[in-house]
Amino acid sequence: MLLGASLLGGALALDSTSVGQLMLSRPLAAGLLSGWLSGDLRAGFLAGVILEVYLLVAFPVGGARFPEGATATVVAGVTAATHPGPGPLALAVGFGLVWGQLGGWSITGLRNLNGRVVPDPAHSDLRPRRVAGGHLLALLLDFVRGALVTGTGVWLADLVVARLSGRWPLGQPDTVGLFMVGAAVSAGILLQSFGGFRRRRTLFLVGLAGGALGGLLL
Amino acid sequence: MSAVTPSARASAFLRSFTIQGSWNYRTMLGGGFAFALLPVLRQVFRGPHLTEALRRHTEHFNAHPYLAGLALGAAARLEADGCDPELVRRFKTAIKGPLGGLGDALVWAAWLPATALLGLIAHFSGAPPWLCVLLFLLPYNLGHLALRLWGFRTGLRWGHEVGRVLREAALGRRTESVSRAGALLLGMFAGLVCTVGPGASAAGLRGGGIEALWLVLAVGAFVIGLLGGVRVWRPAAVVVVGAVVSILAAAG
Repeated sequence: MLLGASLLGGALALDSTSVGQLMLSRPLAAGLLSGWLSGDLRAGFLAGVILEVYLLVAFPVGGARFPEGATATVVAGVTAATHPGPGPLALAVGFGLVWGQLGGWSITGLRNLNGRVVPDPAHSDLRPRRVAGGHLLALLLDFVRGALVTGTGVWLADLVVARLSGRWPLGQPDTVGLFMVGAAVSAGILLQSFGGFRRRRTLFLVGLAGGALGGLLL
Repeated sequence: MSAVTPSARASAFLRSFTIQGSWNYRTMLGGGFAFALLPVLRQVFRGPHLTEALRRHTEHFNAHPYLAGLALGAAARLEADGCDPELVRRFKTAIKGPLGGLGDALVWAAWLPATALLGLIAHFSGAPPWLCVLLFLLPYNLGHLALRLWGFRTGLRWGHEVGRVLREAALGRRTESVSRAGALLLGMFAGLVCTVGPGASAAGLRGGGIEALWLVLAVGAFVIGLLGGVRVWRPAAVVVVGAVVSILAAAG
C-alpha cells in the first residue's frame, strides 16, 4: 500500500506542474484514485471533495508557493480509505492540509535545485544532450520528490490516525460541517476572483436559488 | 519553415507538455523551452550555430504553460526562416508578459475553478464519484488541449505577428464569460451544500447536510473570504487544523 501510494503521489506530483497538467492531480481526481488504490473509493473521494473545495483558490501561478494538492490528497485519501469513520476523516483531511504546505515547500526546494540541474545559458557547453539531460533529470527529481513526500505523509498519517481517531467526539455531519466552514472561506475568495460580489451578485444569487431549489427537490 | 519536418513540429508540440519540468528561479521556463524546441533547432542548425541557438532559448523565459506553445511555435518559425537572433530574443521578451497574464487569468483563475465546480455540483447532486471526476476532467481538458493546440499552430503560422492574433482572439473577453459562468456555478454549489438533507444519500457529504450552527458559521466564513481575498486562505486553513487539534485535546 505504501509503495503504491508513493508511486501514485510521484505520478500526480508530475501532473501538477511538470508534465501535462491534465489536472489528474487536483484533489477531486486524486481522491478518487487514492480511494480506488486503498480499496474504499468513496472514502478517498470524500477526502478529495473536501480538499478540492479548500484548494479551489490554490493555483500553480508562476513562481508562487502554493499548497500541493496532489500529495496532500493522496495522503488524506489513502488514510481516510484505510480507516473508516468520521474521526479518521477529520484527522486525514487536517493532516492533508498540513502536508500540502510541506509539499509546497518541497517544490520550492526542488526549484532551487533545478537551477543547478539545468544548463546555465552563460556556460559554453550547451550541447543538445546536456540540455535534454538536465531537463529529464529535473522531471525524475520531481517524481522522486512527490513519491517521498507522499510516502512519508501516508506513513505518518497512519500512525496519527491509529493513535488518535478513537478520541474524535463528533459524528459525520458535524465533522463535515466543521470542514465546510473552513471551505466557505475559499468559496468567498473564489467569488472575489470571479469578479467580486458587486459585479457578480445577480449570477451568484440566481445560482444560489437554483442550487437551493435543486437541493430541496433531490 | 520548409526546413522543418512535420515530425519535428509534432515532437516540439508533445515536448511542450513538459515545458515546466525544469522550472527554476534563474531561467524559469528557459530549460523546458529549449528542450521543447530542440527537434526543430536540430534540423535548422549544426555545430556552433546549434549551440548558439540553444543558448538564446535556455535564457530566462516565463509564460503560462498552456500558452507557452504560442511562443514556442513562433520561435520555431522565426528560427526556421533564418531571422536575426536578436529579433528572436526581443520577440520572446515582448511576448512572455502577455502570455503569462492572459493564461493565469483565463485558465487558473476562471476555467479551472469553474470546471472543478461542475464536478463538485455533480457530487452534491448525488452523481457517482467517477461521473463527478469525468464532469470535471472532460470539459477542463477539452479547453486545455484546444488552447495548447491553437497556441502552437498559431505561433507556427504567424511567427512574430502572433501579438496581433492574440489581440484578435480576445482572451480577456473569454475570461470574463468564464468568470460569469463560474459565479453562477459557485452560487449553485453553495445552494446545494446548504440544502442537501439527511437521508438524501447514505454516503459522503450528502449524508449530512449542514445544520444551523454550521450554516451560520459558514456564511460568516464566506464573507471573510469575500472581503479578505486570498491573503486569508492560509490563516483559515490554520484555524481549521487548530480546531481539529483542539477538539481532540478537549476530548482526550
